[in-house]
Amino acid sequence: MKKRIIFYNRTGFTTLLNREIHRFMKVPVQTVLAPLISNMLYLAIFGGMLQTRQVGIDGVNYLHFLVPGLASMGAVFAAFQNPAFSIISQKFQNTIQDLNSYPISNAEKILAFVFGGVFRGVLVGLLTYAATIFFVGYEIEYPVLFVLSLTATSFVFASLGLICGLIFDNFEKMNFVLAIVITPLAYLGGVFFEISKLPGLLAAIKYINPIYPLVNVTRFAFIGVYEGNIQVQIIITVVLILGSFLSASYIFKKGIGIKTV
Amino acid sequence: MLEISNLSKTYQRGNKEALKNISLKIEEGEFTALLGQNGAGKSTLINILAGNVKKTQGIVKIGQYSIDKNELETKKIIGIVPQDTGYDFVFTVDEALKNQSGYFGIKNNDDYIDELLEALYLKDKRNARLRDLSGGMRRRFLIAKALVHQPKILILDEPTAGVDIEMRHTLYEFLIKLHQSGTTIILTTHYLEEAEILCDRIVIIDDGKIVADEPKEQLMDSFSDEVRIELHFDYELNLADFEFLKGYDLKIEEKTSLKLKVPKKDLSKVFRMLTEKNLEFTNIFVEKPKLEEIYLKLISH
Repeated sequence: MKKRIIFYNRTGFTTLLNREIHRFMKVPVQTVLAPLISNMLYLAIFGGMLQTRQVGIDGVNYLHFLVPGLASMGAVFAAFQNPAFSIISQKFQNTIQDLNSYPISNAEKILAFVFGGVFRGVLVGLLTYAATIFFVGYEIEYPVLFVLSLTATSFVFASLGLICGLIFDNFEKMNFVLAIVITPLAYLGGVFFEISKLPGLLAAIKYINPIYPLVNVTRFAFIGVYEGNIQVQIIITVVLILGSFLSASYIFKKGIGIKTV
Repeated sequence: MLEISNLSKTYQRGNKEALKNISLKIEEGEFTALLGQNGAGKSTLINILAGNVKKTQGIVKIGQYSIDKNELETKKIIGIVPQDTGYDFVFTVDEALKNQSGYFGIKNNDDYIDELLEALYLKDKRNARLRDLSGGMRRRFLIAKALVHQPKILILDEPTAGVDIEMRHTLYEFLIKLHQSGTTIILTTHYLEEAEILCDRIVIIDDGKIVADEPKEQLMDSFSDEVRIELHFDYELNLADFEFLKGYDLKIEEKTSLKLKVPKKDLSKVFRMLTEKNLEFTNIFVEKPKLEEIYLKLISH
């Protein structure tokens, strides 16, 4: 009987996923501790400086406002970097073509890379939360939604990281995307302040910034307060998940970056 | 075991035609050498089989499976040892081989991994990181990696490039044993003596076309219309004494050794002439053309 092509080789899929997780767990200082320390510094500096000012959502303690933003931002970067770095380093090591020799379906390969990124993103997000417990307490308004939201954020950016890994052939280009695209989007995505409070046209950034709804949903899950229309933002989150994953699937199946035409 | 029909490949970049309508059938248990110059199309062919390069047209069947319809099934049948000794910086030999088994859906493959490491003299490197292996060790590791799923066909793309002579011979022994155990092997190499020692079939690709495809002995015989003869004497020779052999590319080497090239049809005639002259030689060597010479003849443009 012909096997289903989507889930063709479960052991192959779990091995590939384990490798993607194992790869970053072998260097935890760079992959987990460094972003955690950055987030703690953000919390100490911005939190300390801005706590007494009118920043964030009215009536909400600024540290409470900041923690879900930092957790989301940590998840964004970690999830993006994991598949992007993995694919580009395989190109660099001349092992990328090994991927074509495995009897693992494209869907399984894509999911393994994306889930590897999701694992790292959620881990960094949750560790950021865990590290801030001493400052803001452990209470989360909707804990399950908080984890789901970090997962969704990580899923979107792991898919985008996979796309970048496939398209680009060196670390410089990946770092360019991180520095020129992802970082500004994160800073203008409502991580540190309420976007609506920006003057004039800058406030409109939230309509084109994919990080904004993801941060806002995570913040809603954390403190139960939100900016804008949360239902619309949840719908946008679902659209982002589908859109990024389908785009990654299309590029992977076309063989861009891994097959020669 | 492997069936290729009318296979062509034109790379989009540069519009380079790398394979021109080639057909090839390799039976189970054969040990085939795939020879050709750099850029002849060997690596393109191997990369199509490996799934790294998309073919332009033609049919490729590995086992009974088409690479178009059942690509994933074909992966289980072949093992490929690539030309590049690329390796993952992070993992050890053991981890990489266990991962490789997992990709092929195999759990608990430790016993077979042990066997491979033993046979390829890598057992004491089991826990070494891949980045710490020497070039020769990495080549052997790549062979082990290609074999963890016990493929029916093993394709080796220049596996002995940069490997020292002793280790090269160790690899020959390993490949002979592997072949004897029933594995079909396709070998590409620039060391033609390697193909001559190991393979029983020779396929030569030139400019994207197959210019020769025959059992090794048959190919050698078909080019053996001329043999080289070397006669040893126990006294100094003078070329003038061999005037009667003029026309056979005569040469005297080391004063006591006479070399000549004789068409097969003239062999009896030459020996008759030597006997008539009462020339008493102490030793005789008859040598057929080497694969290298045949190869050069076939690819000369």
